[in-house]
Amino acid sequence: MPSSAGRLLLLLPTTTYRTEAFVEAATRLGVELVCASERPSTFEALAPDSLLTLDFADPGASAETIAQFAARRSIDAVVPVDDLTTVVAAAISQRLGLKANSLPAVATARDKHAMRRCLAEAGVRVPRFGLLRLADDPAVLARQIDYPCVLKPLALSASRGVIRASDAQEFVAAFHRIAAILESVEARLPDEARRALLVEEFIPGGEVALEGLLIGGTLHVLAIFDKPDPLDGPFFEETIYVTPSRLPQAVQARIAAVSRDACAALGLTEGPIHAELRLNERGPFVLEVAARSIGGLCSRTLTFGTGLTLEELILSHALGRPLESLERERRAAGVMMIPIPRAGRLVSVRGADDAAAVDGVDDVAITMHPGQEVVPLPEGWQYLGFIFARAETPAAVEHALRQAHARLHFAIE
Amino acid sequence: MSEDLKTRVQELIDSMINPAVAGHGGFVELVDVQDNRVYLQMGGGCQGCGAADVTLKQGIERLIKEEIPEVAEVLDATDHSAGTNPYYTAGKA
Repeated sequence: MPSSAGRLLLLLPTTTYRTEAFVEAATRLGVELVCASERPSTFEALAPDSLLTLDFADPGASAETIAQFAARRSIDAVVPVDDLTTVVAAAISQRLGLKANSLPAVATARDKHAMRRCLAEAGVRVPRFGLLRLADDPAVLARQIDYPCVLKPLALSASRGVIRASDAQEFVAAFHRIAAILESVEARLPDEARRALLVEEFIPGGEVALEGLLIGGTLHVLAIFDKPDPLDGPFFEETIYVTPSRLPQAVQARIAAVSRDACAALGLTEGPIHAELRLNERGPFVLEVAARSIGGLCSRTLTFGTGLTLEELILSHALGRPLESLERERRAAGVMMIPIPRAGRLVSVRGADDAAAVDGVDDVAITMHPGQEVVPLPEGWQYLGFIFARAETPAAVEHALRQAHARLHFAIE
Repeated sequence: MSEDLKTRVQELIDSMINPAVAGHGGFVELVDVQDNRVYLQMGGGCQGCGAADVTLKQGIERLIKEEIPEVAEVLDATDHSAGTNPYYTAGKA
């Protein structure tokens, strides 16, 4: 049965931070949702037409399941949330004949080594890189590497498992540490992602993130985020994102151009992208282009037009609805992903109200609960929380975030 | 009218909603009904659960509106940040 307002399949891993944002966006837009997760909802039996379980690690089987569903309840668009669902979303879209990124393009973007190869072949500047097999002897590999280098898993996100090594000894230690992380990851990763990892040259300099929306192959830059805290390793815990960027306009234009080239090289044509780039006098280096939107709760920093959220833009675009505006609000905005001070068990969080009272702070969201185990990078896989701020200038936003953070006290034992 | 709605919503919570969410250690309590809007509080495994919003909108609200069409909206009055044992916890992919 067709849906006149548009029926959208939303792929929501049970571990995503984005559920509320996307579901609320659909409610505001009047979009009928069918939600699929990799583990069953308690309501699946009572709401079989709106809650589904799919094996996100098996795109073919998932596509068949949805094709059968769509034969009686049409699906007009598929939106993936987080890295875990980008490939299966492309497979489903292909099976249903929907306008979306191609499966090969998304699969390439999902694998950091495949992405590097593709971009390098297209002449997009990326760090020098190589693929390492976990079955090989790291002591032997260490003698073949130029230092400093960065080792990283092929398919994890948010700097999980990313380690800088400055010599052979650090390389071997990092190699073993990442191997252990890959053993412990619960999510079903592609086989290659559990058997290999990427090594690349460390690019000194700053780092930025670019949030964009591809429409018919054209990349619309929604925001460039500065990352004012240095990310030099050995671990790369992201803390502050601030937009608009304070980089010179010519540099921002270069970042946008390189990101467009990267999307074109990968063959990405529709939907959100989140790109990470390193910057120095040699120019922007693309670290990653993910075929999904910004992670965690960070999308709360972005509003467009008359107050649309990023999720409303994404859902509207997926359904082919006219987009009111792609112009980000005039004010500066930013987020701090609260750094994890140490490992242990979270006992309490004090000062959240004081932090929220800082001028310019919109909200403080603590996303871990008392009793929960706190694990720092590179093993850590959860955010401690987020601080959001808006102000007239990026500098004022950054100041507000740091002031608010200073008022928070985490008791971790 | 409000009292009648409350009674019917409570019956639905007792007979269908709570037995469903109990599977994940959760429970739902009716807080109030005002202007045909139902206010619920989620507890146990539902409080702070990453899937709470989907459960509420795609499961609970759909069910209530199907069974009691006079209900205009179901709203979540839960302080999810106070949850101590959420069934699904969010994390980086």
